Amino acid sequence: MTSNGNDKGKGTATGGTAVKDAPEDGAPLVELRAAGKSYGNVRALHGVDLTVRPGQVTCVLGDNGAGKSTLIKIVSGLHQHTEGEFLVDGEAVRFSTPREALDRGIATVYQDLATVPLMPVWRNFFLGSELTRGPWPLRRLDIERMKKTADEELRAMGIVLDDLEQPIGTLSGGQRQCVAIARAVHFGARVLILDEPTAALGVKQSGVVLKYIAAARDRGLGVIFITHNPHHAYMVGDHFSVLRLGTLELSAARSEITVEELTNHMAGGAELTALKHELAQVRGVDVAELPGEEDVQAPAAASAEASSGASSEKTS
Amino acid sequence: MTMSQATAPAAEPASPDSPAGGKDGRTAERSVVRRLLGRPEVGALIAAVGVYVFFFAVAPPFREASSLATVLYQASVMGIMTLPVALLMIGGEFDLSAGVAVTTSALTAAILSYQLTVNVWTGVIVALIASLAVGAFNGWLLIKTGLPSFLVTLGSFLILQGANLAVTKIFTGNVASDSISDMDGFDQAKSVFASEISIGGVNFKITIFYWLVFAALATWLLLRTKFGNWIFAVGGNQDSARAVGVPVKFTKIALFMGVGLGAWFVGMHLLFSFNTVQSGEGVGNEFLYIIAAVIGGCLLTGGYGSAVGPVIGAFIFGMVSQGIVYANWNPDWFKAFLGVMLLLAALVNLWVRRQATRR
Amino acid sequence: MDRTFRPRSRRARRGAPLVALAAASALLIAGCSSSSGGKKAEERAADAAAGKADTPRMTVALVTHQAPGDTFWDIVRKGAQAAADKDNVELVYSADPNAGNQANFVQNAIDQKVDGIAVTLAKPDAMKDVIAKAEKAGIPVVGINSGMDRWQSLGLLSFFGQDESVAGEALGKKLNETGAKHAVCVIHEQGNVGLESRCAGVKKTFEGETETLNVNGTDMPSVKSTITAKLKQDSSIDEVVTLGAPFAMTAVQSVADAGGKAKIATFDMNKELTSAIKKGDIEFAVDQQPYLQGYLAIDSLWLYENNGNYSGGGEQPVLTGPAFVDGSNVDTVAEYAAKGTR
Repeated sequence: MTSNGNDKGKGTATGGTAVKDAPEDGAPLVELRAAGKSYGNVRALHGVDLTVRPGQVTCVLGDNGAGKSTLIKIVSGLHQHTEGEFLVDGEAVRFSTPREALDRGIATVYQDLATVPLMPVWRNFFLGSELTRGPWPLRRLDIERMKKTADEELRAMGIVLDDLEQPIGTLSGGQRQCVAIARAVHFGARVLILDEPTAALGVKQSGVVLKYIAAARDRGLGVIFITHNPHHAYMVGDHFSVLRLGTLELSAARSEITVEELTNHMAGGAELTALKHELAQVRGVDVAELPGEEDVQAPAAASAEASSGASSEKTS
Repeated sequence: MTMSQATAPAAEPASPDSPAGGKDGRTAERSVVRRLLGRPEVGALIAAVGVYVFFFAVAPPFREASSLATVLYQASVMGIMTLPVALLMIGGEFDLSAGVAVTTSALTAAILSYQLTVNVWTGVIVALIASLAVGAFNGWLLIKTGLPSFLVTLGSFLILQGANLAVTKIFTGNVASDSISDMDGFDQAKSVFASEISIGGVNFKITIFYWLVFAALATWLLLRTKFGNWIFAVGGNQDSARAVGVPVKFTKIALFMGVGLGAWFVGMHLLFSFNTVQSGEGVGNEFLYIIAAVIGGCLLTGGYGSAVGPVIGAFIFGMVSQGIVYANWNPDWFKAFLGVMLLLAALVNLWVRRQATRR
Repeated sequence: MDRTFRPRSRRARRGAPLVALAAASALLIAGCSSSSGGKKAEERAADAAAGKADTPRMTVALVTHQAPGDTFWDIVRKGAQAAADKDNVELVYSADPNAGNQANFVQNAIDQKVDGIAVTLAKPDAMKDVIAKAEKAGIPVVGINSGMDRWQSLGLLSFFGQDESVAGEALGKKLNETGAKHAVCVIHEQGNVGLESRCAGVKKTFEGETETLNVNGTDMPSVKSTITAKLKQDSSIDEVVTLGAPFAMTAVQSVADAGGKAKIATFDMNKELTSAIKKGDIEFAVDQQPYLQGYLAIDSLWLYENNGNYSGGGEQPVLTGPAFVDGSNVDTVAEYAAKGTR
């Protein structure tokens, strides 16, 4: 497949030319250069390039086991890369704890471990960065201030909750993600990593979360949006990287790719074509409607809105 | 700072400055009663009142103030240990060595003071260091191995049980520590750890007051400090807690050391009120601590509970075990009665919590 | 780059308080020596050594149902060891409260081809088969402590012990003499046959009223509270009978707490108990002389091996108790109790 090498080159060179919010000259906040990770002799990730700029949403797509989680674990400081380079603000780094990543402004919102379900919303909001007052032996939580701040921050993101005392587990999945995003924004995150925030959500809830991703981008944050839903990615993304078996299969700016191409890359691209051939040999399987090679290699011409609408009808 | 407002974080009343408008109207406001019932210790409190009224009715001697002092004494010795065990449970871990750790601490102080013929305070301080070290070892082993705390502390339980006996025999040639009641500092230490305070002609053991003070401290720690927030977080969802920067290892090791601190205090009480310590004592008490914490509304799975609940749990346990005697029921049935009463208390607790969470 | 030496410096800083702590505690121990009591006081009393037999070396196994950490069995073992040392016997001691495990230990002794076995018969039926095996292998077996009613039918050589109900009966009679009216018998291990039969014996001969009270023996504060509660529940109780020495000491505090005038009598002895009897806190104790049980069992096996003697003539058990310890003889007993042999 030829598009692999080409797209990768294009992506890093001209990232986000056609996107309205992305500043052309925004220096990369986070950059991976040919980064990789091996667990013993298992190579989970190899030769991955990724650039995150302020005010941009970089989408990382891939099937299960493609290496998405390994990638975010490296960036968020849970694991360390074993090859290549990892730069924050142009400086090579190697984090040993999530705390170090947080200190550099890299916050991660995990899909299912974003919150402690039985704790109230405001305690979750400030967990790990509690506000205190008073001298040491009597140093205590500044509950009033924390509740007020949490409420303000949530409202600023457009989230209104009845009762900040309710356990966060009683909120809907989408609301919980939003609280976690608002929390990350409040604590000075410059780079927000979202690990499949829409995976377990319904259509409406996903919409809510995508709205807050856009809101975070508009506040000038660099966002890494991990997903395996190309439609969600295409709605907010400025740049798309598709991982496949631990390597980068595609890296393209929004202007260079349509949602169909993205879908095909996600679905397996070349392998799908091969599968189509095999299926064609079996009588009774109609392969005419299945996407073919021409779709994968189609030039990025159609307007984003139009193709996104068309494709979602076609593939759903 | 409102100490009287001893509540669990999951169910505090809304602060006055919570938003008045802008509610999306989908979640109905929980009524004040419902919200009150949702606190972890309220079910236990209702059960405690029930048990008290019951024995008050059937056992005339139970009504005297001095009987209450007796009940409170047993509850306090158990309750002082239940507090750190409950905090540890909220933090998502168990300590099966808590029962014998008490004996270890008392034996350490007694044997060291006696063998070296030093002031008993030296033994008291060394016992404190030893108890904290046992707690730190448990926590460290848990963090290092990643094994469940049930397994790690079962190991230390057996180690301590064996060491209690073997070390005592090596030094004393017996299975109990030698009496240190005639040694320097004993009377002073006794007045600190095992004295009595007379209120209105009734003698209350000092442990009762320590118990209540420690419970107030634990409540403050749990609800009003950073560390308390971390305890709930590591018990509720350890991975989330680590991801947002909570020092999980520190929190867990500190909680285990807290159990060590409790074991030391109770151990000193045992030593200075009974002069000698039997090396086989304490076995099985670890489960009583856990039971009292659970009756008091702490979740076995962690992440939920309070410090007031275990106080009530220990009080229920004390009332039931003494009340059966005050009521002069057939002693052969003692354990069976105890089991039935505890089960009933737990059921009332469960029922109350169901009422609270039902919409 | 500074990462490489940062941990080292941190460790060095962490080491400093440790050193300080060690130094401080050394000073503390040196500086705070107690002028009374303690090990030094004990060491002032020296003990004498015994002679030794010149008979050939033999091996004897002592297998009991001791639970770990029980004072009583420790004294039995000391008696056995003393006899073994004197008789040039190698003593192999093993114990397990679980009857199946205890039987296994007897089997283990048979496998070792010992020259004699002394065994307790807490659960005689569980021991029946292994005792038959030992006899088949030609190993003489004697019984100690419990199993007075079964030792003959199991074909043991001799038996050394105290009949628990006889001891209880003796205590009951003694209470009649002291003029007690209402006794409570404190059972510290519910369901233990020996303890139950002691209380049953008291009830049989005591002319006043006898009640039983179950307490949790592993938790002293609860023992203390429960006895206090019982005394308050029924103020006519004028005698507390405990079944072990540590519980008698606790009962002294309970009686004081309850403000009553109840007296305390107990089974079994220890060092602290003798001083309590001296002070008058405890009325009297019934001693079954565990030291004697261990000593005589080993000695009888040695006598059988070297001289063909049957202790008790092979027909009657050798009774080691009940021996009363009260104000009249406590001074002599105290000396031995201090050494942990009574």
